[in-house]
Order: sequence, then C-alpha cells, then structure tokens
Amino acid sequence: MSYAYLFKYIIIGDTGVGKSCLLLQFTDKRFQPVHDLTIGVEFGARMITIDGKQVKLQIWDTAGQEAFRSITRSYYRGAAGALLVYDITRRDTFNHLTTWLEDARQHSNSNMVIMLIGNKSDLESRRDVKREEGEAFAREHGLIFMETSAKTAANVEEAFINTAKEIYEKIQEGVFDINNEANGIKLGPQHSPAAAGGMAAGGLGGSQGGGCC
Amino acid sequence: MQVLGIPVENGRRALCWKLLLNYLPPSRLAWDEALDGQRCAYRRFVREMVVRPGGAAGGSAAARVDVTEHDHPLSDQPNSQWQTFFKDNDVLGQIDKDVRRLCPDISFFQQPTEFPCQEVVCGDYHERLHERVQRVYLDSASVCRVGLGMQTKVDAKRRQQEHDYVALPGGQEAHWEVVERILFIYAKLNPGQSYVQGMNEIVGPIYYTFASNPDARWREHAEADTFGVFTNLMSEIRDFFIKTLDDSHSGINFRLRLLMERLHHHDPHLAVRLKVQQLYPQYFAFRWMTLLLSQEFTLPDVIRIWDSLFADEKRFDFLTEVCCAMMIQVREQLMSGDFAHNMKLLQNYPPLEIRTVLAKAEWLLSR
Repeated sequence: MSYAYLFKYIIIGDTGVGKSCLLLQFTDKRFQPVHDLTIGVEFGARMITIDGKQVKLQIWDTAGQEAFRSITRSYYRGAAGALLVYDITRRDTFNHLTTWLEDARQHSNSNMVIMLIGNKSDLESRRDVKREEGEAFAREHGLIFMETSAKTAANVEEAFINTAKEIYEKIQEGVFDINNEANGIKLGPQHSPAAAGGMAAGGLGGSQGGGCC
Repeated sequence: MQVLGIPVENGRRALCWKLLLNYLPPSRLAWDEALDGQRCAYRRFVREMVVRPGGAAGGSAAARVDVTEHDHPLSDQPNSQWQTFFKDNDVLGQIDKDVRRLCPDISFFQQPTEFPCQEVVCGDYHERLHERVQRVYLDSASVCRVGLGMQTKVDAKRRQQEHDYVALPGGQEAHWEVVERILFIYAKLNPGQSYVQGMNEIVGPIYYTFASNPDARWREHAEADTFGVFTNLMSEIRDFFIKTLDDSHSGINFRLRLLMERLHHHDPHLAVRLKVQQLYPQYFAFRWMTLLLSQEFTLPDVIRIWDSLFADEKRFDFLTEVCCAMMIQVREQLMSGDFAHNMKLLQNYPPLEIRTVLAKAEWLLSR
C-alpha cells in the first residue's frame, strides 16, 4: 500500500519492561503474556493516518540486555522516533532511564522525538513508580510521557500515534530534512523528491555540487 | 546422522549428544569413570555456590555474614563478600526472569522434576535461588515513602510470581528451577562472560532431551549431564555472546558475513536482492546463529536440527548452510516482497517441513 511518509521508530528500555508486547499490541492487536526473549532486534510495521495522510511506521524493537547494546546502537541512527519504556512495577527499570537516554541522544540524530512510556499500568496494585515521577522525568528531559498497558491495550495506539504526530509537526515546521533518510523519514512514492520537482532528482548526490562540504 | 537425525529410542539421542559434544569419551570403557567425575564435580559446585554460598558461613549472606569494619554492605572492596553477593543477585535476577520465559509453548518446564536436588529442597538452613532474588527485590522495594519521612511496608504478597512458572511447594522442584541452577553455576564459573540472554535458549533443549530420556538411570543425572554438555557447547559458541568479540574471527559478525558469502555463492540473485533492500543479516540471522535456530522452530524440530549441527565435524559450517537453505526455501516470496514483508517473513519463519530444509542444506554443503 502506498504511503505519504514512512517513519522509523526504535523501542528501547530494560529487559522485561514489555517492549515486544507493546509492539505486538500495536501491530497485531493481541497480547502474549510470556513473550520469547528478544535477541537482537524484532521488526514490525503498521499504517496509520495523520492529518488525512497515510503514514507507515517501521518499528524496531530491541533487546534490553546490556550485552546487546552495541548492536542496538546501530539502530538509533536511522530513527525519527524512539519509545523509551520502563515498567511501573519495577523501580530499577525507571532508575536506568538516564543511561538509556544518554545512549539514545549520543547515537541518534538530535531531532529524534522521544516518548517516555511507563508500561504495565494495569498492575496498579504492584505499582512502584508514581505517575508523577514519570511526568517529572519527562518534563525535565523534554520528552512526551504516557502510561500504557500492553495487556489491556490502554494508551498503546496513542503512544505510537502521538509520537508520529510530533514528528509530523516537526516536518511541517521544517525541523526535519526529509530528503535525508538518516533522519528516519522517507517520503512515499507519490511524494518523492523527483515528483515534487526537487533538485535531488535521480538521487545523484555527487552531481549536485552542494555547498555542504 | 547428519542427514537422517538420531533416533530417540532408548535414549540414543541423548547419548549421541553427549558423545558428539565430548562429554563422554569415545571409549565405552571410560564412560563410568568420566561420568562419576563430572557429576561429582557438579555436585560440589551446587554445594559451594547454591546450598552454602560463602563456605561455612552458610546460606544467605544477609543473615549470616558478619558486618565488620572490613566487610559491610557498602564496601567497595573487590573481595568483599557483600559485593559478590549483590553482584550474584543481579545475575540471578536476570536468569530468574528468563528461565520463567522458557519454551512457553509447552508445559514441560513448569512440571515438577522426578529428581529434585535433595540438598536444595530438603535442606533446612538455606533458601532456593529464586527465593534469594525475590527477597532481595523485596528488601529494596518493600518500604515506600508516604508524606514527609513517613514510611510504610508494602504488602509483600502483592508481588506475584509470573503466571504459571510458579515455584513448587516443599520437596518439589519445577524443571525451570533446575535450569536456573545450571545457568547460575555456569555464570559463577565464567565470571568474564557471566550470563547473557539467549543462553537460556541454548540450555533448554539440551535439558529437555536429557530429562525426558526414557532410561531413568540417565534421567536421574539430567541436571549434571546438561551442565557438562552445555559448558562444552558454550566453549564452541561462547564468542557469539561476547560483544567485544563481535568482529573477531570467531565472533558473530564474521559468521554473518560468511553466511551472506555462501548465499551469494548458492543464489546470487537472492543475495543481491537482500543487499539492495538493505536487509542485513544482523536483522534476522543474528538470532538464527546465536541461538542455533532455537527460536525459529518448534522444540521437536529444533532438537532434530541440533542432531545435524552437533554431528557436523566442522562446527558450525552446517549451520551456515541450514540458514542459506532457509532463505532459499522462501526465495520466491523474498524476490517479490518489499522490505517490511521480507523482514517479517525472515523473523517469523514459516513452519516448513524441517526435513526438506535439512536436505536442502545437505545438498548446499556439497556444492
């Protein structure tokens, strides 16, 4: 199916916080209580509509364990959005957010939109991190924040879609250079630079004689 | 053996794996002595690291290790027993979570074993591994702040176990607990590498095969034998789990590059197609190779594949060919699909007849 934009996302956070379950709930609308461990990365895609335009989300779900981080880092680069997930029933996963954030900021492009997600909101009785703490962390670091439940699907759609809206707004404001795929954004076939009459026709980057060197 | 697989009757498969992975010496006369030695050593590890960690001081460090000016919970001395205790528990906490996610499709790992470790389930002065991490988590989390400096206890019982992977009552042990012990001891004995996610998926099929051996005389020693075979297997694939070796000759990136070279040799069109789509082997074959395909197929199929992988004298050349065969078997779809389609296809490999895939791999190997 054709799309106007393609956004690349990455999902990061400690192991066992529900990253793969969030992805599965968003792409397949189902919940798997015991999910296989993610080794390396898993991939998912879904089409959404923003401002009447079809937007394809390409989502990279990463392994949470430290040992896999060197692999994970290579995925930051081409990402327009990141979901940074912790588990509201495990404080250690919240305490590690700073490390994740530093990692993400260091290896991604500076415009990447980051959504902070406190997952497992259905487990209210076992809550270990207050909602206000999540909000405060997000405010302090300039992130969007939501609490979700991959189990009940609460706020899952919203988390992925709100992130996309934020990216879309940044595109409208001209913050993102949409002709640079390293930003994690690609134009759909009908919006390609050639069709839009841009100068980058043919993608012969070398012949453009840019003044960017 | 590589082509046909190993018959399961009379525990032949379990026996062959022990031979192929050098746990048993080739000469039958030497088996008894070798087994006695290995099993005895394992019992000693259990006693030292699980039943009575820290030697005579006994079970849980918190209760029995003295707090002195030389050693206390906040000590940063590398030889501090407290330091070791906390570090162990980090590793154990990770293992505990992962073994409870082992093979969720089958109920085997949640079932009680006929042969629990007696010293662990019947001892009276220690705690079991999963209790040890649970207690530590509780200690740090059971107190929460209310208002100004007021503190209150959180109900400990609210922290439930994960779904069906519950610990069994006194005198019994579930199979996942046995696997937890094996991995913990492995991590303790290999501190440089410790535990890395995915090792649970390697130990699982071995333990399953040994613990379901029709011959009870072997079954009884499934835990110790699994530990030995797992250790030997890890010595061959260990480098896949060490990130600093990713680019070395034995590391995973090298194997992945080799895989794509072989694919190019067998089916250049397909290899070029994947390259053009920027569908790199790191995205799908990283898991295939690191876990020896254990997450791609059902357990019976995984075990059948492992017959062939272990029988490969030049381990793991055959694994490379099996991965090539898997891609070539779905080449029509790969040639027509877009990036997203192909990614999903390779990450969720369709349930093809495993014999066909292996026969194809065998044929590729001869080319």
